[in-house]
Amino acid sequence: MRIGVMVCHCGNNIAATVDCEAVAAAAREFPDVVYATDHMYACSDPGQKTIEQTIRDLKLDGVVVASCSPRMHEVTFRRAVERAGLNRYMFEMANIREHVAWISLDRKRNTQKATDLVRMAVEKLRVDRPLTPKSFDVQKRVLIVGGGVAGIQAALDCADGGLEVVLVEKKSSIGGIMSKLDKTFPTIDCSVCVLGPKMVDCGQNPRITLHTLSEVEDISGYVGNFEVKIRKRTTYVDWTKCTGCGACQEKCPSKKVPDAFNENVSLTTAINIPFPQAIPKRAAINAAHCIRLTKGKCGNCQKVCPTGAVDFEMTDEVVTEKVGAIIAATGIDLFDHTKLGEYGAGRYPDVVTSLAYERMLSASGPTAGHIKRPSDGKEPKTVAFISCVGSRDRSVDRPYCSGFCCMYTAKQAILTRDHIPNSRSYVFYMDIRANGKGYEEFVRRAQEEYGVEYVRGRVAHIYPKDGPDGVQMVVRGADTLLGRQVEIAADLVVLAVGAEASHGAPELAEKLRISYDHYGFFLESHPKLRPVETNTVGVFLAGACQGPKDIPASVAQASAAAGKVLALLSKDKLESDPQIALVQAIRCIGCGKCERTCPFGAIRMRELRDGSKRAEVVETVCQGCGICSVTCPVRAIQLQHFTDSQLLAEVNALCKTWDETIES
Amino acid sequence: MAADADDRVLQLRAAVKAELANVDFVLGYAKGFDPLHATPVTVRTEADADRLIFDATCVQNLATSLYGLNGKRIGLVVKGCDSRSLIQLMQEKLLERSQLVIFGLPCDGVLDLAKIRVKADIAAIHGAEISGDEVRLLLPEGTKTLPRRDVLADKCLRCRYPNPLVADHLIGQERTPQGAEDTYADLDGFEKLSPQERFDFWKRQMSRCIRCYACRNACPLCVCKHVCLADSRDPHWLSAEATLQEKWLFQVMHALHLAGRCTECGECQRSCPMGIPILLLKRKMNRELKEVFNYEAGVDPEAVPPLHTFLMEEDKIKDRGQLW
Repeated sequence: MRIGVMVCHCGNNIAATVDCEAVAAAAREFPDVVYATDHMYACSDPGQKTIEQTIRDLKLDGVVVASCSPRMHEVTFRRAVERAGLNRYMFEMANIREHVAWISLDRKRNTQKATDLVRMAVEKLRVDRPLTPKSFDVQKRVLIVGGGVAGIQAALDCADGGLEVVLVEKKSSIGGIMSKLDKTFPTIDCSVCVLGPKMVDCGQNPRITLHTLSEVEDISGYVGNFEVKIRKRTTYVDWTKCTGCGACQEKCPSKKVPDAFNENVSLTTAINIPFPQAIPKRAAINAAHCIRLTKGKCGNCQKVCPTGAVDFEMTDEVVTEKVGAIIAATGIDLFDHTKLGEYGAGRYPDVVTSLAYERMLSASGPTAGHIKRPSDGKEPKTVAFISCVGSRDRSVDRPYCSGFCCMYTAKQAILTRDHIPNSRSYVFYMDIRANGKGYEEFVRRAQEEYGVEYVRGRVAHIYPKDGPDGVQMVVRGADTLLGRQVEIAADLVVLAVGAEASHGAPELAEKLRISYDHYGFFLESHPKLRPVETNTVGVFLAGACQGPKDIPASVAQASAAAGKVLALLSKDKLESDPQIALVQAIRCIGCGKCERTCPFGAIRMRELRDGSKRAEVVETVCQGCGICSVTCPVRAIQLQHFTDSQLLAEVNALCKTWDETIES
Repeated sequence: MAADADDRVLQLRAAVKAELANVDFVLGYAKGFDPLHATPVTVRTEADADRLIFDATCVQNLATSLYGLNGKRIGLVVKGCDSRSLIQLMQEKLLERSQLVIFGLPCDGVLDLAKIRVKADIAAIHGAEISGDEVRLLLPEGTKTLPRRDVLADKCLRCRYPNPLVADHLIGQERTPQGAEDTYADLDGFEKLSPQERFDFWKRQMSRCIRCYACRNACPLCVCKHVCLADSRDPHWLSAEATLQEKWLFQVMHALHLAGRCTECGECQRSCPMGIPILLLKRKMNRELKEVFNYEAGVDPEAVPPLHTFLMEEDKIKDRGQLW
C-alpha cells in the first residue's frame, strides 16, 4: 500500500505549538508511507490541489491529513481524494489542532503527540477498505412540529416550493403566541391582522395537512423516509361536519372554564372555538369541564348543532405520516411567575403576566380592549412594568436573556398610554436590550414621546396596600442610577415574564434524536455556520425552540429551514452513509442481542435453511451508532470504517509508541 | 438422609425411564472413576438409567453441554444452580424451553475437591460416605471424618437457589436457601485491598494461567464456541504469546462477556487446573449489575437482561449532561 501524509500548519493555529515539519519527517518512517509533507493550509485550494496531484503522481492508495477536527473538514478532504480517483473512505484525518495544538503550549510534547496521532491514522488507513454508499428514494413531504408563526411560515414556504406539508399543532388552532398578541413592536401593527392571512393560507393550501390538538407520538426511520405517528386527541366534534358557527358555544351551560387562550383572564365554555380567527375554526370539547362527559347529563351542544357534528363517543386517533424531512418549531412557553414569592407568587390578582395584559389590550380579548384591573374591574391609572421576570436570573436557573421582553414592555407601556391617556407607566429594568432594526428608536419613543418612566433597578418586593381608590400594589425596588430606594403605588403590575423552552421539548428532542441544552432548547449543528440544521440529518429547527427569538427572527429562521428542506428534498434519491453495521454471517450465533439493543430497529433476524438464525442489518435504517457492535459477544456485527481490526490497529500503534517512549 | 437420597435416585431413575420415549437422550450423573467423582452420562436405555446417581459428587453443570444441541429433544438432570444457566440461555434465546425435559433435584451442596485435597490424599481415597453433616473418607490409614461444611463448594455455602427454578419433574424435598440476599462477603474483603494490592494479587494468580481455556469450555454461557475472541486472528485481540497481559486480557474479556449473564455456577473456577479464583471477577461484575440495574442473571425467564436493552436514560447512570 502507498500512503501519503500531509501535516497542516493551519496558519499559526497548529504550527505555533507543533513542529509540523518534524511530524512530517517522522511520518516518512511509518510503514507504507511513501510521501509526507507539511502545508500552510491543507484545506485551501492549493492544499487540496497538492493532495490530488500527489495521489496521481505517486499512485497513492490512501491519504492521511493531520489538521483540524474531522467535523470541520473531513468532507472537504474526502471530496479531494475522490476527485483524484480514490475511494473517499481511503482517507484518515488526525486531529492535531483541537486535540493537540489548542490544548497545550509544550512544543516538544505536542510534536510527539501529533506524531502519535498520525501514526494511529496511518495504521488505521492500512486496514481501511473502500466503502460504497447506496442510494434510496425520498419522500417529498415534510413534517412541521408546532403551528406558531415559525411553523406557519415554514409550512407556507415548503408548500410554495412544491412539497407536501404535515403541520402538527398541540392546541386546537394554529397561530401560537403571536395570535395572542395585540400589537407587535416596533411598528405597532395588529398582530393577528398580519398573522391571520398566513393562518388562512395554511388552512386552505391543498398541500398542507393540518393536525391540530395533536402531538407527535413516535418517530422512526431516517432522513428521506421518516415514519411519524401522530396522536390526534379527541375533540368530541367531527371536524368534517363542524362549520364553526358557534351555536354550541352559546348553549353550553358549563360556563366557568378558565380560558387558556385568554391566559385564564376570563372564562369560557366547555365546548368552544378558542378565538375568532382560529384555524381550523372548529369547536372542541374540554372533557374535564364538560357536564355530559363528567356527569353523564346535558348534551345541549349535540342538540343544537345544525350539522350533528358532536359525538361523545369519539376517541383519540393515531395517524401515521411518511415524510422526508422534519422541522421542529415548537417555540417557547413563558416563565411561571408563581415561582417568585417576592412578586406575590400569583396570589395578587392585580399582578399579571405580560401575555395576560396583552390579551386585555386586544380588542378581541376578554375585556374587549379595555384595560381593567382583574380585582375590581377599574381602569388603572398607574401601571408598573417589571422586566427580567425569569430572565437573567440565576436564582431561578434562567441566566439567559429572553431577548424580546424589553421591546414588548416598551410596546405595552406605549399602548397603555394610548388606551388610558391620563395614565402613568413605570418600567423597572436591568438594562435595555434593543438591538434590532428600529428597536432603539422605539424605546426612545416610549420614553420621550409617551413619557414612560424608566427606573433602572430590580424590584425586590410587591405587596398590597389600601389606598384612596381601593387596594394598590406597592412596588418596592432600588433605583440604581440615583442610588436610592423607590416605592411606587401602582394600580396594576405587569410582569415581563421571560421565555422557557416549550414544556415537553426534551421529550420531543428524544423522539427526534436531536440534542438539547440544559434548559430544553434544541441545539443547532453549529452556532454560526449551521444554525438551522441539527446533528440528525433531515431534522431542522425553526423559531424560538432553538433559543428565545422575536417574531422577525423566528420567521427568518423558518424560511431558512424551509430553504434547507427544499434543497434536501430537491433530489429524487439520497445516498446512505456506508459507515453502518454489517453482519459477518459466519460468526453470528443468532442470539439476537443486537436486535434487542438497536435503538433504531435496524436489525432483524433471518432464518437459514437449517433453521438457525442470523442477524441482518437494514442498511437504510442503521444510523451507525455502534451499540450492536459492542453488544455482540462474538463481534460478528461490525461498524464499517470502525471495525475492531481498525480500532485495534490504532490502539496498537498508540501502545507501541508508549512502549518506545518508556524504553527510551 | 441416606434413605431419602436413595429414594430420590430411584424416583429420578423412574422419571427418566418414563420420559425416555419422548427425548433423544437424557444427560445425568453416574458414578465416576473413584468415590469422589461423578461423571456425566448419556442415558438412552433403561439400563443406562439404572446407572444414574445424585449426590454431593455431582458437581458438573450439565447445561454446559446443551449449546450446539439445537434441534434435539434432551432430558437434563439439574441442581438449583444449574437451572439458572438454563433460564439465562432461554432469556438469550439460545435455548428453547420446549426442547428440554428437566429433571430438577433440590440440592444439599456439592463437594469441592480442592478443599478435600488439602485435608487428605485424594488419590489414596478408596471410599467416601456422605451422611448428615459429615463426610467420611476411607483412607489406607483409616477413616477420616470431616464436617460437611468444610468440604462443600463456596457457592453452596451461600446458595440461595438450592431448588431448581425450572423443572418438569421436581424430585425430592425442597431445601431451605442460605439467606435471601447475597452479602458478597467474599468480595468485601478483597475490595478493601488497595488497587495495587489487588493488581499484585491478579498478577500472581494470572502468572499461573496456562491458557488451556478450560474455564471457557466449562462455562455454560460461553456461547461463541468456534468464533471465540481468544482464537480470532482478525481482529487479532490476543496473540499466542504466553505473557501476563494476554492471560489477563482474556480473563477480563471473559468476565465482561458474562456481565449480567453469569449465574455463578462456578464451573470456570472448578475446572481451572491451576486453581485460579476467576469466579471472583464474575462475582464483582454481578455485584455491580445488582447495584446498578437491580438485576440477577438466570432467575426470571421473562426478564430481559439489562445489557440486552437500550434506554435513552438509565435511572442510575448519569451520562447526559450538557453536550458542550
